[in-house]
Amino acid sequence: MTGKNSDIIVVDAKYKSCPGPIIELSEAVRKASAGQTVVLLATDPAAPADVEAWVGQVGHRLLQVSKQNDTYEIRIQVR
Amino acid sequence: MMDMPKLSLIVSSDKVDKLLQAAILASTAAALNWQAELFFTFWGLLALREGSEQRAVSSEYAQYGKPLLEAIKSGSLPEWRDLLRKAREGGNVKIYACSTTLDTFGMKREHLEDFDEIVGAATFLSRAKDSDIVLYIS
Repeated sequence: MTGKNSDIIVVDAKYKSCPGPIIELSEAVRKASAGQTVVLLATDPAAPADVEAWVGQVGHRLLQVSKQNDTYEIRIQVR
Repeated sequence: MMDMPKLSLIVSSDKVDKLLQAAILASTAAALNWQAELFFTFWGLLALREGSEQRAVSSEYAQYGKPLLEAIKSGSLPEWRDLLRKAREGGNVKIYACSTTLDTFGMKREHLEDFDEIVGAATFLSRAKDSDIVLYIS
């Protein structure tokens, strides 16, 4: 579903305040192909809600949000 | 793409805290696939002068200048100009320079950088009329 591991793009936006995570995520997604999974790593507490709002506007799919220590791992699938 | 939401900002400050607010909203709008149009007027236009480096924060918040500039230096916050420049390269962000400000303060078109057009109030208002969001940042 999410493709091979090597197909996953990781965007490390840890310690970046808003709008860093969303800007970096949208830049990475622009270069990605349809169906590809992009994982955003972020420590900004607003990141999960911001990504949800962002996918709602641009039409990608939010797959999963998890948190380890202070870092959110947010998976989306490019449409 | 005609029905993209549109954000219009009037930017009338050359202080880094205000410029960053404008750049954050405009670049985020672009990331959402919205259009953004920014009208730099009065002191806002000073920030578009070629080579100008905005380092001062609004005087009433001078005590927060240090942490703000440190956040920019560390990279946790972007430089407003880099953020806006990158957003503008994507094509959904337009920057307008106020013609009256240029005339009044003896500035010349060739002294400005990173803008699309020099316009008057009527042009900006007619373009902003169909915006979904209009904000004044001062």
